[in-house]
Amino acid sequence: MDSCNVERLNELLEQDVELREKIKEQVTDLDKKTRNMVGVLNKIHSTPPESIPGLLDSVRPMLHSCQTTSAAMAALIPPSQFWRWKEMWTNSLRTAIFSAALVEFLATGKLISLPEVCQILGIKDEWKGRFALPVEDYLHGLISLVNELSRLAVNAVTLGNFEAPIQISIFVKDLFAGFSMLNLKNDTLRRRFDSLKYDLKKIEEVVYDVSLRKLAPPPQGGHQI
Amino acid sequence: MRTHRESVIEAFDEFRQEIDEHHDRRERLIKISRDATNLSKKVIFLLHRAMTEEPNNDSNPSLRVVRRGREKLREVQALYAQIRLEVQAERFWHYHRAVSPGLQEYIEALGFAHYLEHGTLVSYQEVQLSLSDENGIPYFTLPKEDYLLGLSDVTGELMRFAISGIAQKGGRVRAREVCAFVRQCKADFERFTPYVRELSKKQAVTSQSLEKIEDAVYAIVVRGSEYDIPPDMLDDIIAQSISTFSSTTSAKSRLGQRDIRNGDDYDDEI
Repeated sequence: MDSCNVERLNELLEQDVELREKIKEQVTDLDKKTRNMVGVLNKIHSTPPESIPGLLDSVRPMLHSCQTTSAAMAALIPPSQFWRWKEMWTNSLRTAIFSAALVEFLATGKLISLPEVCQILGIKDEWKGRFALPVEDYLHGLISLVNELSRLAVNAVTLGNFEAPIQISIFVKDLFAGFSMLNLKNDTLRRRFDSLKYDLKKIEEVVYDVSLRKLAPPPQGGHQI
Repeated sequence: MRTHRESVIEAFDEFRQEIDEHHDRRERLIKISRDATNLSKKVIFLLHRAMTEEPNNDSNPSLRVVRRGREKLREVQALYAQIRLEVQAERFWHYHRAVSPGLQEYIEALGFAHYLEHGTLVSYQEVQLSLSDENGIPYFTLPKEDYLLGLSDVTGELMRFAISGIAQKGGRVRAREVCAFVRQCKADFERFTPYVRELSKKQAVTSQSLEKIEDAVYAIVVRGSEYDIPPDMLDDIIAQSISTFSSTTSAKSRLGQRDIRNGDDYDDEI
């Protein structure tokens, strides 16, 4: 290899290293934010229903603070190189998606949509190719949500909230119906989806226990239990 | 008012389309990448075969062989032209893992042909240009990592090339040239190992290849020193004994060193 070729390559590779370090900084920052959020959200298991809105209000600013990270990432990543670097922040981003989805469920009982997550995390459409929110990560975030809700179903009952398991059951079944429509390959998403049935079963058991003992009002509509 | 379930189903319906599209595209690219790998391997075998069988008496014996190799490589280039739209913009990196093995094999074949012709390593720009259309617009930006990893594999081919041709006319001089060249390659690549993860593994293979060439060259020097005759004459003596012997011995045994990797079959017609 002639020396000028070596030098040029070295230079380019050096630039990639610098970029990686800059992205790493942002990821560490995002990681801190998501860890804090998860820490606060963990309190839902011991918070009575009437105090939940206050708890959510304290998480929302943390969620919105992710917007600065998103913008910083979009500014760093060269056009069309989104997928090259994406693995660096995948885990943190999924946790942020999970947090947003959990907040939305606790506030409205609804499933947060992909565009809504983008909006909350400040991920803009025009960044496509540099920074975006892939469907796969959104779905991973939702599976984490189901994992968390199966715990919440149990702990809500402990706190004396007998309606929550039923509400969770309906929600999770809707979500499961959605996931069942996907043709998943043998990847992590598939494996995590396969594990959802255990969450479903756990929630069902709680609903069963509560209904059998007539602790909760009988569910309306035909399709549950 | 839509029920919650209806809106969930509707959203997931879109996801399904997107996921299916992704998997299908990935499958297509893996298939094409596999084709590129196979074709490139065939080119490498073609070059080896032709270099050891061709009578080496014209001034640049490798030129004709290389031309044949390059023609064959054009088929690989056509494959990459074909996937151009599939890997546009951010999609290239999305599917990088699917196309990377084929790319590296292609670079190895191209790099080997390039060495036979010029005695140098093919440059990044040259590889990129070979993966561009007639207006010089690249089908995609070649990752530096793949370029380096593909090149690193060329040293293995050079080892085979040096050793299997060692008994041929001019083979001993050539082995020494290749030896020096591979040594230089190894030194050059060493600088890049901190940047490219898989390169250190390949450097280990290069070291092994280099050692094999060095041992072969050593044997030439030691044995050659016993006879005080010019190398040309030694060539003739060897050629003579081979021709009288060849009726009983298969030429294949001479190529015993040649490593047919993974038992890949190759077509003698190419």
